[in-house]
Amino acid sequence: MRFRTCSYEKELSQALKDGHWPEGCGSELRTHVDWCGHCSDLVLVTQTFQRARTESDRAAPCGSPSLLWWRAQLRRRNAATERVSRPITIAQTFAWFVTVLVGVLFVGSQYSHGLHWASWWSEFVPPRAFHLVPFGSGQVDWNFLLLISGFGVLALLSALVVYLAAERS
Amino acid sequence: MDSDAFAGFYQRSAPGLRAYLVRVSGNSALADDLMQESYLRFLCASRPEGGEVNYRRYLYRIATNLLRDHWRRPGTACIEDVPEQFLAARDGLAHIDVQAILDPAMARMRPRERQLLWLAHAEGYSHREISEITGLSAAGIRLLLFRARRKIARLLRKQIAAERRKA
Repeated sequence: MRFRTCSYEKELSQALKDGHWPEGCGSELRTHVDWCGHCSDLVLVTQTFQRARTESDRAAPCGSPSLLWWRAQLRRRNAATERVSRPITIAQTFAWFVTVLVGVLFVGSQYSHGLHWASWWSEFVPPRAFHLVPFGSGQVDWNFLLLISGFGVLALLSALVVYLAAERS
Repeated sequence: MDSDAFAGFYQRSAPGLRAYLVRVSGNSALADDLMQESYLRFLCASRPEGGEVNYRRYLYRIATNLLRDHWRRPGTACIEDVPEQFLAARDGLAHIDVQAILDPAMARMRPRERQLLWLAHAEGYSHREISEITGLSAAGIRLLLFRARRKIARLLRKQIAAERRKA
């Protein structure tokens, strides 16, 4: 199929779009459309589609806009909640991981010394019954454990700050 | 956009959008679902500046993307592969006179051709605007539209002659 255009196409398209065809157009354009296949196609197709569009406007059933509005509000709220709670979930996971790691290190270090501290539970001795031994020589470094715990607390506080900032926005 | 402004925009734009979706998909139930989803996404997204004209174009772009997503889904035929007779418009507008001429002609067009014809001739969008809505190049649209227009004009003339013979 050969692709060709007509010099009247733009003028005719505008007239059809504005609803000026045929009464609002000059006799030259009307005569041209009578013999130009390209332009008569344009008139036929545009008028048919415009009529179909007008009939659709009259006949189409429309749902309730207020229902759509509230559904959209609900969806936006859910998306915002999910976005806000994401950093909190990450911080919680991190904090649980740190807590479990500290617990495992502590139990592991005490186990290697025969679990002497277990007597603490039966005799209710003061907390000094714990073996606070250095980590470097196969024993626990309490400064390191405190550092990890501090990171955990910091992560939780950061999540809280992010949550409050996001809620305000 | 508040609730009242949206209600006004919806009343003005919904019939046209539904007609577009019904004509291109050939399925009024699917068109209703896609129309609802289009408005929901439109409300949830940050809308473009420029008032209702741009809102409407943005809405058509969302609807076109949803149609494309629907055809891409596994188990759903591609826009170019759907049998033409399957896509004959079967909405509740069959009683309208223009349908008697347009429906059979549209049923023989490819979905992509229906999409371009409707946007260009029913909605009055320019090639550039159709390009923004569909994601096709403006030059490609010009050629596709030229071919589609010739094809549907021939089919419409046949239908008009058949209707006249019946009368």
